[in-house]
Amino acid sequence: MKFIAIVGTNAKKSYNRKLLQFMKKHFESKADIEILDITDVPMFNQSDNQSYGPVLQMFNDKITECDGVIMATPEYNHSIPSSLKSLIEWLSFDLHPLAGKPVMIVGASLGTQGSSRAQLHLRQILDAPGVDANVMPGYEFLLGSADKAFDEAGDLSNEGTIDFLEICFLRFMRFAKIANQLNEEEEFSFEPGEYEVNAIGHSGSLPMKVSFSEKRIESIKIDTEGETEGIADVVFVRIPDKILEGQTLNVDALSGASETSNAVIDGVAKAVKLAGVNPDILKRRPKPASSRIREDEEYTCDVVVVGGGGAGLSAAATALQNGSSVIVLEKYPAVGGNTIRSGGPVNAADPEWQKKFDENPGERHTIESLLNTDESQIHAEYLDDFRALKEEFAAYQKKFGTEKGHLFDSPLLHRMQTYFGGKRTDLEGNTIYGQYDLVKIMTDRALESVNWLEEIGVEYDKSIVFAPVGALWRRGHKPVKSYGTAFILALHKYVEENSGKIITDSPVKELIIENGEIKGVIATGVNGQKITVYAKAVVLASGGFGANTKMLKEYNTYWSNIDDDIRTTNSYAMTGDGIALGKSVGAALTGMGFTQMMPVSDPDTGELFSGLQVPPENFVIVNREGKRFVNEFSGRDVLTKAAIDQGSLFYLIADDEIKKTAANTSQEKIDRQVEAGTLFRADTIEELAVKIGMDPAVLKDTVNKYNSYVDAGFDPEFHKDTFSLKVEKAPFYATPRKPAVHHTMGGLRIDTNARVLDENGQPIKHLYAAGEVAGGIHAGNRLGGNALTDIFTFGRIAGKTAVDEMK
Amino acid sequence: MKYLAIVGTNSDVSTNRMLLQFMQKHFSGEAEIEVYEIKDLPAFMEPEDSEVPEKVAELSDKILSADGVIIATPEYDHAIPAVLKSALEWISYTSQALTDKPVLIVGASHGTLGSSRAQAHLRQILDSPELAARIMPSSEFLLGKSQGAFDNSGNLIYEDKLSELDEIFREFVLFTDITSKLLEEKVLNKKVKKYTWQD
Repeated sequence: MKFIAIVGTNAKKSYNRKLLQFMKKHFESKADIEILDITDVPMFNQSDNQSYGPVLQMFNDKITECDGVIMATPEYNHSIPSSLKSLIEWLSFDLHPLAGKPVMIVGASLGTQGSSRAQLHLRQILDAPGVDANVMPGYEFLLGSADKAFDEAGDLSNEGTIDFLEICFLRFMRFAKIANQLNEEEEFSFEPGEYEVNAIGHSGSLPMKVSFSEKRIESIKIDTEGETEGIADVVFVRIPDKILEGQTLNVDALSGASETSNAVIDGVAKAVKLAGVNPDILKRRPKPASSRIREDEEYTCDVVVVGGGGAGLSAAATALQNGSSVIVLEKYPAVGGNTIRSGGPVNAADPEWQKKFDENPGERHTIESLLNTDESQIHAEYLDDFRALKEEFAAYQKKFGTEKGHLFDSPLLHRMQTYFGGKRTDLEGNTIYGQYDLVKIMTDRALESVNWLEEIGVEYDKSIVFAPVGALWRRGHKPVKSYGTAFILALHKYVEENSGKIITDSPVKELIIENGEIKGVIATGVNGQKITVYAKAVVLASGGFGANTKMLKEYNTYWSNIDDDIRTTNSYAMTGDGIALGKSVGAALTGMGFTQMMPVSDPDTGELFSGLQVPPENFVIVNREGKRFVNEFSGRDVLTKAAIDQGSLFYLIADDEIKKTAANTSQEKIDRQVEAGTLFRADTIEELAVKIGMDPAVLKDTVNKYNSYVDAGFDPEFHKDTFSLKVEKAPFYATPRKPAVHHTMGGLRIDTNARVLDENGQPIKHLYAAGEVAGGIHAGNRLGGNALTDIFTFGRIAGKTAVDEMK
Repeated sequence: MKYLAIVGTNSDVSTNRMLLQFMQKHFSGEAEIEVYEIKDLPAFMEPEDSEVPEKVAELSDKILSADGVIIATPEYDHAIPAVLKSALEWISYTSQALTDKPVLIVGASHGTLGSSRAQAHLRQILDSPELAARIMPSSEFLLGKSQGAFDNSGNLIYEDKLSELDEIFREFVLFTDITSKLLEEKVLNKKVKKYTWQD
């Protein structure tokens, strides 16, 4: 038998070491004992995982392979030494080599106690879940007065002591043999065949088919219809692959999709059970081999891009087009970031194309009222453009007069709308507006971005011109495939086909600085390994901080309150990582206090597409008391401010007819949400009020008044001016809503070449930024459709500047 | 009263730290609480000479000049973290600054148990003759489900736990007072005993 003996102290001189040395020699003919010292074990720190360093790997390997472990502990302050405790903590954190391992405890002390109290503590510690060692009961070996116990050759001098140690040791050999049998896997065989199960996914049930042969899981098929595209897609491929590879259910959930990951694992577990096997057996198996690779990786390239969303992939593609080698590091298991969640087209003025469409009634009026703005209300740098736009529009008016004209647009109009749309004043009275040079670049080069994307492989549906929600104008270029996905698919393919390397699951933790210059980045890989990328240029494209409530609260100067439990429509990856990286090298920040909220979001998930989302003419919004408080037709800002003033939570009231105007749902989804308690339904308004904790009389009164306004076509309370349906036909519905964070306009200060600037306005060498991580463009409010314009334009610029400046 | 509050872990993210930070703020009217981090202390190792590491001396001084000590411990493997044990080993090996010092033990954990086993170990450890702290008896503050216990401004939001904490802290102030008076009145004939590592 092979045993590992651990000296339970880092002291230079130790009688416990001496005791183990004696045991090694004395029991030589019976077992092979290897003594390990713990002097080199670092202090345990869960924030600085060293599980995969050489020292702990050595302990892990040797303990895993041996037949049993002997621990010799001294006693410090009635307990075990911190150095021994530290080792055990490491061995119960990421690594668990002691699980099920037979352990014998011995101890020596100078006093008479022989480490008695420490040994009892050690037993309790080794019994903790996570350690799970199998400690031999009884046979306590306590060596007191250890300084007098050994002779000059290092042998125990008392016969009786040796006899007792021998009994303990022989007992341990038998104990180890039996205990190791307990560690063998239970025998099992599957009932071969294909089993159908339903796992509960993010947006409903996931039908799965799992097939088994007698000894193996052979295949896992998942019907993914109904799950959102993007990261969930990766789950449906990667989790089954891992399960099949390792024939194990001990598979890590993917970051950002743990719910869906666990749903898949649970689904397979259900099937395993149907096939007649206890799934726990497979859960106790080791992780698949590919999840155990922990070797550090090192790469060298020209440009490293932090973040694989629209901005990052555009920067990567541009750098590749300019002959550079590129690595993209993405924190999540799939590329796409927030871009893939985008539900809108990309804004770009393209008058030649837009001319093919007729103008809509009222559109000229929109421009006129913009051009009627008093010049004193316009910042000086925008005045020339404002006047030039006036001339453009005058020419258009002259051409068409009272005739129906085509859809008017120009980069100037886009620019002025971005400027006016972004102008806001915060609670402290500070006014913010889009930085002219950045807004100019974005609006002048927007069309170039749209065309560039077409060359990359994005196909547009040119038969319609769109005004996405909150865009103010019809200049949206809509891809044929579903919005955000179309851009990401094309860019992803382009980058990979042109030898760009994309490393997923790898958040960047720090910038490499050598001699005061940025030389690359360090990331943490999927299995916890360190990934070092040396590069001549670093592009930060990691998105905003919509999913970082602490940061939102820290910087907020715009909203009267941001709830602790505020949700976001964003990917949970948006935690401001790039802003922190920039700050670490002295980057200046701009406009951080301004965030955009999506007022009508799910209070639990931040999603837009749960409950009954109906057109605003059919919205009836009430607060928790059951009273209306706002014109339902207001913009996002106004709705959000009003909601926050009411304590954030509010309800959308609908009846059976209004329900039919909801584009986002089906009867099945509605029934499931009612059952889950995320949507409320009742046969009368009064019952509905009771369900959501309102005074029935108040809600009834509100609905009656609202219905009378619909009849009159006039709302004397909140001046809603467009109505459609009344609330009259049972059953009635209430959808709870709360504002959720949608876009963080602030970020790193950049110049028109996407160089990151320091507090003195000087570029930080080798550092570039694009997309939501950068600030200055959208200022206090971003127009719908402008986020995509921004990321593709500045993403390309960042990639180009990075290449140009390394030459 | 002046208390030193020791964060019993070196983790960057710690609800025990949050608990002490909350106590510092919440009890600022009754006591001056300094939150102390042990993460920069070297790991305990019997020094070859009698040189005391600077950080250890700093901790000893702070303990000596405080009226009492609050220790917040998480639970790692049914016991206190190695890093906290290491700090206590340094104290016992060098200054023995905790001798007769009133100590309040608190603890937080993500699970429901609130570091109960670690607190029991910590009592036994502090009660060893080389540390000989005056631990406040028969009181426990176990904060379970600690990840949901604080709002974003760091306030403890579990009302039952908050009133428990108020009660325990009031008791500790009293205990500190009584213990110091008692020790002043009856200076104990103490510490002639030498420990194994002392010649």
